[in-house]
Amino acid sequence: MHLAARIESIINVTSTTKVYRLGYRGPSPGPGQFFMVWIPRVGEIPLSTADYEDGELLLAITRRGRVTGYIHENLRVGDRIYLRGPYGKGFNLPRGGDKTLLVGGGAGAAPLLFLAETIRERGGRCDALLGFRSGDEAFFLEEFKRSCGSLFLATDDGSMGSRGAIPDVLRQILGERGYDAIYLCGPEPMMAEVADLVRGTGLRLEASLERYMRCGVGICGTCVLDPLGLRVCRDGPVFPLEVIVRIDGFGRWWRGFDSRKTPI
Amino acid sequence: MLQVELAGLKLRNPLILASGILGSSASLALRVEEAGAGAYTTKTITRDPRPGYLNPSFIDLGIGYLNAIGLANPGIDDFAEELDLMKKAVRIPVILSVGGGSPEEYEYVVKIGAERGADAFELNLSCPHVKGMGAELGEDLDVALEIIRRARAASGGRPIFLKLSAHYNYLGLAEEALKAGISGFTAINTLRGLAIDVYARAPILSNVYGGYSGPPIKPVALRVVYELYENFGKVPIIGVGGVDSWVSALEMVLAGASAVGVGSAIAANGFEIFGEIIEGLRKYLETEGFRRITELVGLAHERSV
Repeated sequence: MHLAARIESIINVTSTTKVYRLGYRGPSPGPGQFFMVWIPRVGEIPLSTADYEDGELLLAITRRGRVTGYIHENLRVGDRIYLRGPYGKGFNLPRGGDKTLLVGGGAGAAPLLFLAETIRERGGRCDALLGFRSGDEAFFLEEFKRSCGSLFLATDDGSMGSRGAIPDVLRQILGERGYDAIYLCGPEPMMAEVADLVRGTGLRLEASLERYMRCGVGICGTCVLDPLGLRVCRDGPVFPLEVIVRIDGFGRWWRGFDSRKTPI
Repeated sequence: MLQVELAGLKLRNPLILASGILGSSASLALRVEEAGAGAYTTKTITRDPRPGYLNPSFIDLGIGYLNAIGLANPGIDDFAEELDLMKKAVRIPVILSVGGGSPEEYEYVVKIGAERGADAFELNLSCPHVKGMGAELGEDLDVALEIIRRARAASGGRPIFLKLSAHYNYLGLAEEALKAGISGFTAINTLRGLAIDVYARAPILSNVYGGYSGPPIKPVALRVVYELYENFGKVPIIGVGGVDSWVSALEMVLAGASAVGVGSAIAANGFEIFGEIIEGLRKYLETEGFRRITELVGLAHERSV
């Protein structure tokens, strides 16, 4: 069953993303885990956790479709959001002494913030590279600055940080700084490029994947990764590089709600 | 020890992945085989692609599960390729679950399935939550028999199981279905149910109604299996409904099932459930002095003296 969580605050961080702070009394999520978020009479979608501490859950909701559009337009402070979860296997925290870089594109920054906060709380430190289409769409910059050593920024139009796509900027950074581990989340074509870049370098990489989901607990088969038979909702959503490079169509297609292969 | 024969299908053990669970891709079929299942049932495939219902389409109630996926599937023309891959990926029999809105649609899906090497068919005449499909067709005897006849003609002689609902006159349907040439029965489909959230003051599923599965429906499934065995004796029965342990699998067998479907239990127990049940059945046979699982089928029907 779902747990009702009251909206305590809403911050419009960009024109397309709002951050919702919820009072939540369920099982604690870890970084990389997700919730099935239900808006009664509207729909239910999987959403990653942007942060969690002591009954306060942070969700960064970027407007994408019917349900996120409804949330943006209609939900106010005091309203309820209904959650089931947390589900899935999240990020494995870096080993002590690992030089760690978080790489997030667009809405993919959200689960990485939770990871950055967790690393910091455990006495570690990581860097982050965030990419957005433009400076207007950038969010969580202050939060990442607080949790991370260095924060690198890339925008497609050059309006903030370096001009260019994440893989271009990453190529430079990797040359300059010796990282041991990379944590990745964002649009899949970008993640595919990054995986290609990292492949064979000996760097550890974990990436959080997105798929159409229904049950969230690994029995409906909607979110299967071929040819591995792995379920994003239960075996993931976080997978290591060795798995990602074996996914058929990674960055190019996924299965729709009718299981047909659909271009990403 | 655990091998069974089911209307000519040879299974290494009586456990079958139930329809609607992880039945969409060859990669999942392989994982199910590796986990130990004796056969694999695909998700229900219709002639045309179906996106299914909007989420929420599944909910864990704590006392079983409610789902209204809405027979989401890619349609048989698209799925045919996946069926090829499934047949290449696994050695265990692949049972194609077939749905539709008319006898012609069932016939078409069975025909393509037979061409692509499906080892057997399961006619879903019992889905509780899709209007005009499933259970509604099973309630109309003339339509149901027409579906069975057409499916049989298109099946290339492979076994056809009829998946029954506990909601309608399943014994009447079963009797006529046998005359029309059905090879065996799968019993039962999920039960029609509903869940409400008291804070939302609304039904949880977008479709309102869904199919109830999990351990709480086991007594109902056992009843139907028991009655089918009582009435039709040696006709093969696949017992499905709430099986989550070797004990509940054995209950199905004792009630009269030759094979046992495992579905929702994967949510709580993972793929390991197959291995756990197999191990439990082996030990039971050894300690209770049976040589084969087949000796136990229907044994609960022996009357007290």
